[in-house]
Amino acid sequence: MHSLEHKARQDKKGIRARLQAFAGPIPLIGWLFGLLGAALAEYFLGDIISYYLGLPKIPVLFGFLTVLKKPLLIPGTIGYLILVYVLPVLIIVKSLQKPANRLAGFLDKRPVTIAALVHLGLFYGALHLWADMSDYRLLVLKLTMIAIMLTLSINVINGYMGEFSCSHPGFMALGAYTASTITLLLFADDKQFGDALLSQALGPYFFPLALIAGGIAAALGALVIAIPSFRTRGDYLAIISLAFLFIVKSLIENLEFVGGPRGMSSQPHYSTLPMVFSVMVLCIWIINNFVRSTMGKALNAVRDNELAAEAMTVNTRKTKIITFMFGAFWAGVAGGLFAHVLRYVNPGSFGIQRLAEILAMVYFGGLNSVTGSIVGAVSINILGEALRPLEIYKWIIIPLLLILVMLYRPTGLIAFTEFKPKELMKPRKNMVEED
Amino acid sequence: MDLFLQNIVNGLQWGSFYALIALGYSMVYSILMLFNFAHGDVFMVGSYIGFGVATALLGFVAMTGIPLPGWLILILTILFSMFFTSFVGMFIERVGYRPLRDAPRASAAITGLMIGIILETGNLAILGARRLSFPQLIESATYQFGGVYVTNKKILIVGVSLGLMYLLHRFIQKSKWGMAMRAMSFDFQAVPLMGVSINKIAPLTFAIGSALASAAGILYGLAYPVLDPYMGILLGWKAFVAAILGGRGSILGAALAGFLLGFIEIFVAWIFPSTLRDVIAYSIILLILTFRPHGFFGQAHSTQLRL
Amino acid sequence: MKSALKGIVWGLIAVLIVSGNAWSFGRKTVVKVGINAPITGDIPKVGEGTKYAARMWLEDIEKAGGIEVGGKKYPVELVIEDNESKAESAVKANTKMITEDEVLVIVGPQSSKQAVPAGDVANNYETPMITPWSTNPDSTKDRPFVFRGCFLDPFQGPVLANFITEEFGFTKAAVLYDVASDYPKGLAEFFKQAWEKIHGAGSVVAFESFTTKDTDFSSQLSKINKSGAQVLFTPQYYNEVALIVQQAHELGWTGPIVGSDSWGSAETVTLCGKDCYGLFFSTHYAAAGAQGATKEFIERYEKKYGYTPDDVAALTWDSLRLVQTAIENTGKLTGKIKNDRRAVRDALAQIKNFKGITGDMTFTEEGDPIKCAVIVRISDKGEYEFYKSVCPN
Repeated sequence: MHSLEHKARQDKKGIRARLQAFAGPIPLIGWLFGLLGAALAEYFLGDIISYYLGLPKIPVLFGFLTVLKKPLLIPGTIGYLILVYVLPVLIIVKSLQKPANRLAGFLDKRPVTIAALVHLGLFYGALHLWADMSDYRLLVLKLTMIAIMLTLSINVINGYMGEFSCSHPGFMALGAYTASTITLLLFADDKQFGDALLSQALGPYFFPLALIAGGIAAALGALVIAIPSFRTRGDYLAIISLAFLFIVKSLIENLEFVGGPRGMSSQPHYSTLPMVFSVMVLCIWIINNFVRSTMGKALNAVRDNELAAEAMTVNTRKTKIITFMFGAFWAGVAGGLFAHVLRYVNPGSFGIQRLAEILAMVYFGGLNSVTGSIVGAVSINILGEALRPLEIYKWIIIPLLLILVMLYRPTGLIAFTEFKPKELMKPRKNMVEED
Repeated sequence: MDLFLQNIVNGLQWGSFYALIALGYSMVYSILMLFNFAHGDVFMVGSYIGFGVATALLGFVAMTGIPLPGWLILILTILFSMFFTSFVGMFIERVGYRPLRDAPRASAAITGLMIGIILETGNLAILGARRLSFPQLIESATYQFGGVYVTNKKILIVGVSLGLMYLLHRFIQKSKWGMAMRAMSFDFQAVPLMGVSINKIAPLTFAIGSALASAAGILYGLAYPVLDPYMGILLGWKAFVAAILGGRGSILGAALAGFLLGFIEIFVAWIFPSTLRDVIAYSIILLILTFRPHGFFGQAHSTQLRL
Repeated sequence: MKSALKGIVWGLIAVLIVSGNAWSFGRKTVVKVGINAPITGDIPKVGEGTKYAARMWLEDIEKAGGIEVGGKKYPVELVIEDNESKAESAVKANTKMITEDEVLVIVGPQSSKQAVPAGDVANNYETPMITPWSTNPDSTKDRPFVFRGCFLDPFQGPVLANFITEEFGFTKAAVLYDVASDYPKGLAEFFKQAWEKIHGAGSVVAFESFTTKDTDFSSQLSKINKSGAQVLFTPQYYNEVALIVQQAHELGWTGPIVGSDSWGSAETVTLCGKDCYGLFFSTHYAAAGAQGATKEFIERYEKKYGYTPDDVAALTWDSLRLVQTAIENTGKLTGKIKNDRRAVRDALAQIKNFKGITGDMTFTEEGDPIKCAVIVRISDKGEYEFYKSVCPN
């Protein structure tokens, strides 16, 4: 008996140790090569493989949708996943292990920016190929990236600064509408504003400016919340931000010149994958720097004990204003991108439902953590799409999952962890060699 | 002048709902320092339970032929629903909030939000897509005072609401449990040290809050007889605003703020073009909060009310 | 490592053998029809009517062994997506059905709020779409790929204004509408225009609004009461009609209340009760007193689902049969989805004098059918009685 247990425990350790031994020495760049390989495999061989496995089409979302709709196809789907995703990754990752490590070491000595760019380039390549296979994938990918930005921006306020702000859909709306108004007014012939005022070809170059304008509009809106927040405590801030949400929504519904309740449509197609990806990367980088800076520490100080922070020369007023405006800015930019992905905005998209979604993502993923926000946004988004075939039961499963996470990890899946790109990109030493 | 009086009546009725629901929020918030975002959906559940009870009673009358007058059925409905819904509230406390007692407040808030969504979707899944029509338990009668129209229903709603609030007030002020609750709202940690278990107070608080929400649900069903699974969302969030506006630790404040919110919405819709109602009403709320940041009767608390 | 590799290889082979579908090489061309309906959300009854009508239609196709194009029979599959009564979900649903499920044609969404943005997607992807119930002009305007199965609001507004004037001789009207929703807002404005054209500027003495999901209209209705209006027009959905009419009566309103085609649901009278007896509204068809193919449809639906079908179900039925006719008329399905979609679109545009159960239909250039409206009176038993038919001149 004793030895059986002992053996079982050893086996478990054995599996974990074996996984460690396998995966440990692989640097991040190795995994990225693997992903790229899998994407290439799918691009060239996907159709044929799915045909011979009897699947009606290439499974779009890792087979979730296919499997939930027709459970008979489970074996075929698993076969597809193994052949197209798992095998190429494993093969490439292992065979390229040494060269990848050397490359990682080489990049490690260069400035972080260059290393980051190389990694990002690889990652983007994989994503681009993957999304190329289906417009639906493209849509889901873009919306997920926007969700990441939204989650990060609210994490700055709710996680790092410890407030409970319910106004994010409002910021998103301000950004979406401002950016849309600019692009429709200046660069498109449309029903809302008539003919374009400037040349249409200039549009894509001015788009980032439109996004920034959206962000600034949202930041100005944040002042409406920041100023009353000086005198109030957390709970009152919650209702101030809620009031803000109702006001923005109602305001837009009444402004005929931006379409009122009908909303605006036919924004030009400026939210291409490279654009959304670049903005997201920029967002992650800037926010990460922000929260690791002195300002970030000030945020935490204000959260933990405002009086003490004040006593320690932290200018709490300035901190609050800057944080609100900063978070709102990125929410506005995300909103602008959102408007141009869906190519339709209406006030209804920015109400309580949106608030529930955003809160779910940030608390699920983890407070006070960049990694957490990314994980939360990706999980909830992909789950939301993958569970579509379950129709209304989707909205029982997702909340249940969140409750479970709240019960077992109340601050979210990955909370209070720093995001250190340089460490992630380091070359890994081979475990065997170390002995 | 007529319109002014008419709108006072309208506002009293509409505000009653906000007040009753805000009371539940305020109690949980003052005593247990929690936001219970499932409360709006408890209101919805209470309304549906009321529908069930009323239908059952009406069926009972039909089957046995015992003529129960409408008002009696109404009273029974309210009592039974309050009783059953209080269990719903206690269940939510036990399952969703008790395990998270030591966790940050925000996590509990999110849990509540999710429980609310499950209640809504569960309702949709079980009862399907159609809307339910709350049974007409009382014949509608409209009285006219000059140019002002008041239905018996409106009087009933305001009357019952005020009555319940009064009962609650007596309970909190005079009973032992009420005293314990008031003590907890002053100092959360001290009360258990005095031998009163949180595990007894918490369910009680939730039970009372949910019972009030249920009463609100039935009165709401009387006034607006169309029930749907999402009816509690907007009302819930607005009542939440009212609860905090009233100030922490003040039950009276929450009720007052609820009525005030109702009045603001009704009067703004009267004076300004009704499309601007939300914009103006909530701007007014923002202004109030800027000048009275602790709400109407809130105590400026020394303990951090951070989430 | 070696044994693991062996295991994987054998596993894959087993999988290939086990998945029965592997043996059916050759992917058949299946005609997929997408249905974009509000199954959850504010007006689930509308979604239900859509679903049920669609399923009935599919039954007929399956009995016939498939849809026949150019002598060949193709199986038909329905792809039903829920737009949750939200514009964004309608857009996502359309995108998914077009790019992922590769539907040949889309029927729905029903409400203008979803149909207008979803139509943009369909038009951009060159997929024919027909909305059975959306009456807002923007759904089909400048969109060659989008059609509709019903009349438009610029037509409905004047129909109602004329009807009220002729029937009651009133000169002052009040309107109560949802400012946050496309359809009621558009129709309220068309009605106002039409009414003031007949009776002069300012003859709409009260033009009150509320927001979606509001349930208390006492403030607006009190204003309307005092305004001197003789009739109240409220183009709202079935869940709101009950509340509005009841509250109007409670506040002392005694005049007639008139509605539009959004009143036509099977649930309106269930929810509204006696307060709604004797009221009028315009709609696409009247169930009571129907004859011929219309009567057959109603009886079949009643037998299968237990209640009288509303206008949404009837219009969806007609739209699906329009779609069927168009597909059959293309003469040939190439299997290349882009070409087939264009062919279906062209066939749809060319349909003339289609005999639907909601009336005869011929499409204009915009993709709108020329159709008559029916004025319905809610009888003292709560049934929808045919009162009058108004056709475009």
